[in-house]
Amino acid sequence: MKPVSAIIWKEWRTAVDTPLGYVIAVAFLLASGFFFGNHLFLTGQAEMRSFFAVLPVLLMFFIPAMSMRALAEEKRSGTFELLATLPISTTQIVAGKYLAVLLQTTVLLELTLLYPSTLAMLGNIDAGQIAASYLAAWLLVAAYVAACIFASSLTNNAVVAYVLGFSMLLTVFLLAQAAPLLSPAMQNFLYLISPLSHYQSMLRGVVYMEDVVFLLSLCWVFLVAAHFQLERRRWM
Amino acid sequence: MIQSEALSRFFGDQPAIRDLSFHVKRGEVMGLLGPNGAGKSTTMKILTCYLPPSSGTAIIDGTSLDEDSIAIRRKIGYLPENAPSYGDMHVASYLRFTGRMHQIPVATLSDRIAEMGRACGLTAVMHRRISQLSKGFKQRVGLAAAMLHDPACLILDEPTTGLDPNQILEIRQLIRTLGQKKTVLLSSHILSEVEAVCDRMMIIDKGRLIEMGTASELANRIQGGSRVEAVIRGDAQALLKMLEKTLPDVEGEALDANEGGRLKLRHGSRGTALAEAVFHAAVACDCVIVEMRREQVSLEDVFHRLTQENRS
Repeated sequence: MKPVSAIIWKEWRTAVDTPLGYVIAVAFLLASGFFFGNHLFLTGQAEMRSFFAVLPVLLMFFIPAMSMRALAEEKRSGTFELLATLPISTTQIVAGKYLAVLLQTTVLLELTLLYPSTLAMLGNIDAGQIAASYLAAWLLVAAYVAACIFASSLTNNAVVAYVLGFSMLLTVFLLAQAAPLLSPAMQNFLYLISPLSHYQSMLRGVVYMEDVVFLLSLCWVFLVAAHFQLERRRWM
Repeated sequence: MIQSEALSRFFGDQPAIRDLSFHVKRGEVMGLLGPNGAGKSTTMKILTCYLPPSSGTAIIDGTSLDEDSIAIRRKIGYLPENAPSYGDMHVASYLRFTGRMHQIPVATLSDRIAEMGRACGLTAVMHRRISQLSKGFKQRVGLAAAMLHDPACLILDEPTTGLDPNQILEIRQLIRTLGQKKTVLLSSHILSEVEAVCDRMMIIDKGRLIEMGTASELANRIQGGSRVEAVIRGDAQALLKMLEKTLPDVEGEALDANEGGRLKLRHGSRGTALAEAVFHAAVACDCVIVEMRREQVSLEDVFHRLTQENRS
């Protein structure tokens, strides 16, 4: 685990030492704060449904930005060759990169705990439902980060990695929007395979094991895909 | 220390290296020479476990490539071409990161970083961002990172590319110092560099090993004997005839020159036999040798001849 923690530490240091991390954090808090505050002042209710409803759209923009450099930049600058010749496995490289971005996005998500804390001072909140929603949000973040790490493994250009990651998440979002227009059979199928439907299912405050397992499986699938993508050089 | 056995690597149908077998002894500095695209970097990428060979294997310090690649990577320090590193990081942080990846105990890591900083002349820039350093310093950072875990074997891919002449001299000096304790395999297409730094060298072209040996061995092998050019005062033709009697296989011509003649001679023997024969013949013919020099084949000639022969 030592090399994995070394990668996480290095990525964290780079994120806090460079302005990009702060710019992303401030932009995310401004955008999420706007949707949270807007709804609060309009309805006057101590609940966070509008925040969690808009969160996947915000994540669609922010997670590709935070993941795009993870592997693409390593390949562009030639440091991937250094990393791959250190005494660590490709699995450890992928795990380190994934956990590093997941740590940063988790911190970002934790900063929004300011909103329920504020609500708790203003009125009676449904703590259980908000806790389940945060768990759902964290699992969705974990799946989205895995998808974007895979996108980053496909190219050596961070901008292309952003576009690829964003396109994948946008497709997920658009399919969820288009579901009501489709046949019931297609709707059921989409419900099964869309991470958003599993996320929304947990927002009700009920945590089903199938939703948790689905989102965790999605992480696993994308990370395995990223692993094979990095190993591809070996059999080219 | 490094034993390569019939290493081959194909990219699709294209061979990058074919049946490459060589041996680098412990404590030896071996130069890997070849024109661009000869397969130098591919060879290094295979030895550092970045790429697997298509066939063949290599044994590094007793461990085979296909046996335990992680163990091999612990024994090797690698400086890839252009010395890539993380520009956003400070030198000390980068070395600490590399040390942690090699699982150097925390208690000794700081001392080790300071030691490598001193050895590579990085002490003054330890807390500067790598992106702000000159190319020479970046190269030194790469070397320090490669040596941090005290590997038995260093693999350096074109370590002086893009450096100015002073920086080249500094890095060469550093490599020579390292070579006293470690096995070093370095690639280059700068011939004088290999000649200055390496104990032995191998020349590869189109993925095949063409020659291996010390610079003088390679020169002798392609020269096919010795050459002497002399300016004499006296009868050059007579001297040539005398020489043909004492050294029957001598080839040469006598040209007229001011106040005497010029001799251009070639003989199959190596060493000083031809020059000595010229001296004795000159004494016998009562000629005076005004000037005599043994023609040296430069490494450039060796390299050019060998790679051209391979192409034809």
